[in-house]
Amino acid sequence: MKLILTGLLAGLLTATAAKADEMAFTSWGGTTQEAQTKSWAAPFEASSGIKVLQDGPTDYGKLKAMVDAGNVTWDVVDVEMDFAIKAAKDGLLEPIDYAVVPKADLDPRFSNEHAVGSFYYSFVLAWNKGAVSGEPIGWADMFDTKKFPGKRTFYKWSAPGVIEIALLADGVPADKLYPLDLDRAFKKLDTIKSDIVWWGGGAESQQLIASGEAAFGQLWNGRVFALQQDGTDVGVAWKQNLTAADVLVVPKGAKNKDSAMKFLAAATSPTGQAKFAEASGYAPINTKAKAEMPADAVKALPDAHVDGQINLDMNYWAEHRDEIATRWYAWQTK
Amino acid sequence: MQGSSFRRSSVAGLPAGSGSALPALLLVGLFFIVPVVALLLRSVTDPEPGLQNYAALFGSDTYVRVFLNTFLVATVVTAVTILVAFPVAWMLAIMPPAPGSIVFGIIILSMWTNLLTRTYAWMVLLQRTGVINRALMGLGIIHEPLPLINNLAGVTIGMVYIMLPFMILPLVGTLRAIDPMTLRAAALCGASPFEAFRRILLPLSLPGIAAGGLMVFVMSLGYFVTPALLGGTSNMMLAEMIAQTVQSLLNWGLGSAAAFVLLVVTMALYAIQLHLVGARRAGGGL
Repeated sequence: MKLILTGLLAGLLTATAAKADEMAFTSWGGTTQEAQTKSWAAPFEASSGIKVLQDGPTDYGKLKAMVDAGNVTWDVVDVEMDFAIKAAKDGLLEPIDYAVVPKADLDPRFSNEHAVGSFYYSFVLAWNKGAVSGEPIGWADMFDTKKFPGKRTFYKWSAPGVIEIALLADGVPADKLYPLDLDRAFKKLDTIKSDIVWWGGGAESQQLIASGEAAFGQLWNGRVFALQQDGTDVGVAWKQNLTAADVLVVPKGAKNKDSAMKFLAAATSPTGQAKFAEASGYAPINTKAKAEMPADAVKALPDAHVDGQINLDMNYWAEHRDEIATRWYAWQTK
Repeated sequence: MQGSSFRRSSVAGLPAGSGSALPALLLVGLFFIVPVVALLLRSVTDPEPGLQNYAALFGSDTYVRVFLNTFLVATVVTAVTILVAFPVAWMLAIMPPAPGSIVFGIIILSMWTNLLTRTYAWMVLLQRTGVINRALMGLGIIHEPLPLINNLAGVTIGMVYIMLPFMILPLVGTLRAIDPMTLRAAALCGASPFEAFRRILLPLSLPGIAAGGLMVFVMSLGYFVTPALLGGTSNMMLAEMIAQTVQSLLNWGLGSAAAFVLLVVTMALYAIQLHLVGARRAGGGL
């Protein structure tokens, strides 16, 4: 019996053991991961000979489970910045080897000891032109159900974005957003609660807007970009667009750490970043990338709308993640 | 029959031939019992030993509300499922075998279609811009789209649809066992159809209703996909809340405690169901 178990375990271990010329990349699926595969993984495979296996979607619980169990099958994971800060504190991440990943041209806002920028994005106000009469121009319009009737869609989970939008709509100046006044934010959100349809993932947000099920909403700019590329008649307001970043991390105990670092170097290189930005509409985190992009692709980036742009405070969120989440779900399920 | 032909092994007091059941027992132990024990252990050890996760669970308005929501949704779904399933089951019970098996096949067939696909199909139907609302508005019956999704109505419709076979199947068994002559006898004694239903058919079919109802209720308690896609956040059910707690907040202790409480409730209900099914068998119902 013991022999059988040992044999079984040994079999499992060899089955999942690292192969020298393979590594696993995990991201959020959909149009974003497709762009990452095309812009980063494919050229990297060709130049390094290391095969990049695609997995997904990113699941923080799974990441923690892998690290806790000492059986990490993901080598590079695309995560949200506030999670990366917290995960680094909890000891879930390997430090980035900046001897392999060139740091000089990386935007310092989005890279640190345990994470290197993946891309950065903006939350923008998008609307279905067939379902909205008039033109919403700012977050306050999403709270004006008289002027703009219809369902509005927001990000379902407790994450940077919706709280800030509510406060901005309520008249809080951009430089006074933090520390977040949660009472005020929820009070403002209460005024439109019955008109909110929540989206849980990027594809859902696109479906809601494209079908007109929600007339307008808070979307990731890349998802709006993809809708427009598909020819959907979608308007977008960049006023007070809210930036946040995705970062790439290497889970603690990743089996192919060396390959992972080489992959990070390729993904954050000017060329890798330029290609991804062009394909996705998300902004590059390498300051030299834009020079390699066609001029009209640069215009689609959040970088073209820095006037009035607001950076969501990821350090604040990393520190208050649990506290805000408790309030968030208490309010949402009420 | 039992005492006579049942040989007991003289060595360990186990039935003879139980050695060949060892792989199966090992499988059950490894994949069912070990995880449940691990779940329980985690709920009282993560992040530190003690009952703080249970205290947090029952002290949290959110969790208590989600628990109540979960039971509310399961109750509504069960009640509606019984109402819809009963006439169908009765029809199947009195139908001639040939057309009956076709209807049966249709009901079973729906169970073989992927759950996610079926739920998405309901989204397409129930949306404000969906087929049902467009048709009703096109016919001029309504002027504003009906709120059929992201609320209790959406969850109920989607889940009743999925649960129906689990209610119909046990009910047909019970109804078929009822002698149709009893209804004729009631009519001869002057009972109206309703009276016959209320005093004869309903009491006789109660074991089937109870068995199917409990099965539907227990299954509804742990549902994830359908409520997540067709419900609104104010009808959030426990499974979705646990997923959030574990995946996003990484609070595994609390998530484990919630999962364990749900498991205990489910097991208790299952025990009742077993008891009822046992009683029905003893009464010759099947």
